[in-house]
Amino acid sequence: MVKKRKIDWGAYAFLLPALIIYLSVIIFPVCYSIYISLHNGTGIGKMDFVGLENYVQMFSDSIFLTALKNNILWIVLTVVLTTSISLLLAVALNNKFRGRTFFRAFFYFPCVVAPIAVALIWRWIYNPNIGFINEFLKMIGINYTQTWISGENSAFFTVLIASLWQGIGQPMILFLAGLQTVPADILEAASIDGAGSFTRFFKITVPLMKETFIMVIATLIISSMKVFDVVKGLTNGGPNNATQMLSTYMYSQTFSYNNVGYGTAIAVFMVLMMLVIVIPYIAFTAREK
Amino acid sequence: MKKKIIALMLVAAMSAAMFAGCGNNKTEKNNSDGSEKTASSEEQVDITYWTLGTRQESMEQIVSEFNEEYPNINIIFSYYDTDAIKDACKVAAQADNLPDMWYNWGGSLGAYYPQNGCSKDLTEYAAANGWDEKFNSGALSLCELGGQLSGYPIAYNVVGMFYRKDIFQEYGIEVPTTFEQFEQACATLKKNGVTPISTGGLYGWHTMRLVEQFVEYYAGADGHDELNSFDSSWDQENVIKALAKYQEFCEKGYFPEGFITSDPNDTLISLANGNCAMDIQGQWYDFNILDNDLDMDQYGWFPFPNETGRMSAFTEMVQFNADMDDAKLDACMKFMDFMETEEHAAADLVNNPLPFANAVMPGDERPHVSEMYEYSNEGGTFTITDQAFPTAVADVLFDGQAGICNGTETPEKVAAAIQSAIEEYKSAE
Repeated sequence: MVKKRKIDWGAYAFLLPALIIYLSVIIFPVCYSIYISLHNGTGIGKMDFVGLENYVQMFSDSIFLTALKNNILWIVLTVVLTTSISLLLAVALNNKFRGRTFFRAFFYFPCVVAPIAVALIWRWIYNPNIGFINEFLKMIGINYTQTWISGENSAFFTVLIASLWQGIGQPMILFLAGLQTVPADILEAASIDGAGSFTRFFKITVPLMKETFIMVIATLIISSMKVFDVVKGLTNGGPNNATQMLSTYMYSQTFSYNNVGYGTAIAVFMVLMMLVIVIPYIAFTAREK
Repeated sequence: MKKKIIALMLVAAMSAAMFAGCGNNKTEKNNSDGSEKTASSEEQVDITYWTLGTRQESMEQIVSEFNEEYPNINIIFSYYDTDAIKDACKVAAQADNLPDMWYNWGGSLGAYYPQNGCSKDLTEYAAANGWDEKFNSGALSLCELGGQLSGYPIAYNVVGMFYRKDIFQEYGIEVPTTFEQFEQACATLKKNGVTPISTGGLYGWHTMRLVEQFVEYYAGADGHDELNSFDSSWDQENVIKALAKYQEFCEKGYFPEGFITSDPNDTLISLANGNCAMDIQGQWYDFNILDNDLDMDQYGWFPFPNETGRMSAFTEMVQFNADMDDAKLDACMKFMDFMETEEHAAADLVNNPLPFANAVMPGDERPHVSEMYEYSNEGGTFTITDQAFPTAVADVLFDGQAGICNGTETPEKVAAAIQSAIEEYKSAE
C-alpha cells in the first residue's frame, strides 16, 4: 500500500513571501509592460489601445534598426572577445608563478567599478585633445591622433573596448574556478599517453568545463543585450546614433520623448530577442550532455 | 499545532513587513470637517525637493538658516546632474511619485508637467502675491506653459560669446560686430593654431547654441520665431544655409577635435588653457571663471553677431507637485521666498542676479553680467532651441549636428529630418 504523502503546508507558507515578491516585481511588471506596449500615451493619464502598431512601427524606424544591428554586433563581439580573453587570462593565471594573486586581483579590479564610472574614466582616456591615448601616442612619437569616440566608424568599437575592459574580470574568475575543477589525474594520464598541451586543453579541459562555458556565455549574452550605462555615459548613443543600443533607444523613447507605449514595446522586443537566443542555446547544450 | 501557528504568524509578519514600505507617502489628511489644512507654525511639514548637485553646498547653508526661522519645515533634498534630473523627474511623473518641488527649465522641458496635470498651476497664487511686479516679465512669461503659470522662476539666462581677450589681442583681432568679422576672427585664430570655439556636443545642446545663432542670422528674427513656433517649415533654404555654415565651421576645424562627444560641462578647460579662444555661454560663466580661480581680466564677451541683435534666452524654475494641498504649497513658498533673496544672491548661494524685476546686479567681480542683461533688454531675445523644441525634435537636430560633423549627413537631409520630426510630433499631438 502506497502511503499518501503528507503535504507540508507550513513549508508552502514560508514560500509565500518569496512568491509575493516574485509576482509583484517580476511577473506583474512583465505582464503590465506587455499591456502598455499595446497602447500609446505619455505614461500619465489615458493610454490609447493601438494593438500591435508599436511593434509594426519598429521595423520602419531607422534608428530602431540601427540599434538592433548594433546590439546584435555588440552581443557577438562581446561573447567572442570576452570569452576568449577571459579564458586566456584564466589559463595564464591558473599557472603557478610569483605575483599570481596580484594579477588575479589586477584583472578582476575593473569589474567592481560602476559602469558609469567606467564611462567617465574612458571618456577622458579617449579625449582627443588631452586624453591619455593621444597624448601617449604623441609622447612616443607616433602621429596617429584620433577622435576615437566621436568618429561614427570608430565610436562603436571604442565603447566596446571600454566595456570589455570592465567585463573580462567576472568570466575570468568563473573560468579560473572551472579550471580548478578539472581533475589533475586525467590531465596527467593524457600526458602519459602522449597528448600535447593543446590537445589536453581542447580535448580534455574545455569539454570538462562545459557548464562554466554555458554559464559564462549565457550571462554574457544577457548582459550584452542589456548594455546601457557605459554607452549612455560615453556617447549617449551618438554620434548620430552610431552607438545607439536597444536599451538606450528604449530609454529615450520612454523617458525623454514620453512615448511610453513604443518604448515599452522595444523593451518587450528585447526580452523576446533574449529568450530566442538564450533558451535554444541552453536547451541545445543541456541536450548534448 | 503550536509550531504551525508560530510558522503562520512568522509568515504573516514577513509578508506584512514586505508591504510596509509599499504605497506612496501621500498621507496628507484633511481636517475632520473636510476642509483643507492650513499651515501653522507648529505643524511638522516634510518637503521633498529635487535639484541640481551643483547647488548642494549652497542649499545646505540656506536650509540651515531656514530651519532656524521655520524649524517645523523639513526640506529633504535629492541632487542630480544637469541631464539626469530631466529623466528622473519624468520617470517619477510616470510612476506618480514626483517630489513636492523640483528644479526644471522653461519651454518644452518644463511643459510636460502642466500638460499632464503633474505641476501646480500658480496663476492664482501669483496674482494674489504680486508676482507681476516681483519678477522680470521675460522670466515669468517663459514659465507660462500649457496655459498655466507652472513654476517659480529662479533664473533668467541670456547667452553670449565669451572670449579670451589676451588671445584676441595677441593676434590683433577686434571684437566682431558683424557675421563676416566673426568668420574672419575664426579664420585668423585657426591660422595661428588656436581652435576658435570651444564646444562639447555630447548632449547636443551646447553645439546647438551656435547652430541656432546661424539660424537667427540667416532666417532673421521673424523667420526664426516662425521656425521655433513651427509656423514655417524647417525644410527651407535659410535653415539649410545655417546648417551648411555649421558644416563649413566643422570642416575648417573651428571646433576642437572630437568635440561631438565631448562633455559640454568641460568647455572652460580648453578656454582656460588657451587651446580655444571662444565659448558660447550665459551670464553664469563669470561665476565659473571665478570659481576656477581664473583671471577675469583675460575674459570678455560679445553678443553673437547674428545681425538681429537678439540673444538666446532661457529660464530656470522650480515646479510644484499638483497633488499638494494649500498648507504644503504655503510651506514650499516660504522656503522659496526665503531662498530667493538678494542677500543670498549677493553671497552666490542662489543665481545672481535673481530673475526679479529690479534685480541687483553683481558687482565688479563679475563684470559681464549686467552688460549682458542690458544688451538683452535693448536687443531682445529668442527662446533657446531646446526649450522651443520638444525633446524628440531637439534630438533630431542634435543627431544631425553629429552627422554633419562626421560627414554622414548633409544640411539638406538634416533640415528635412527636423521638419519630418516636427510633423510627426504635431500629428501625435
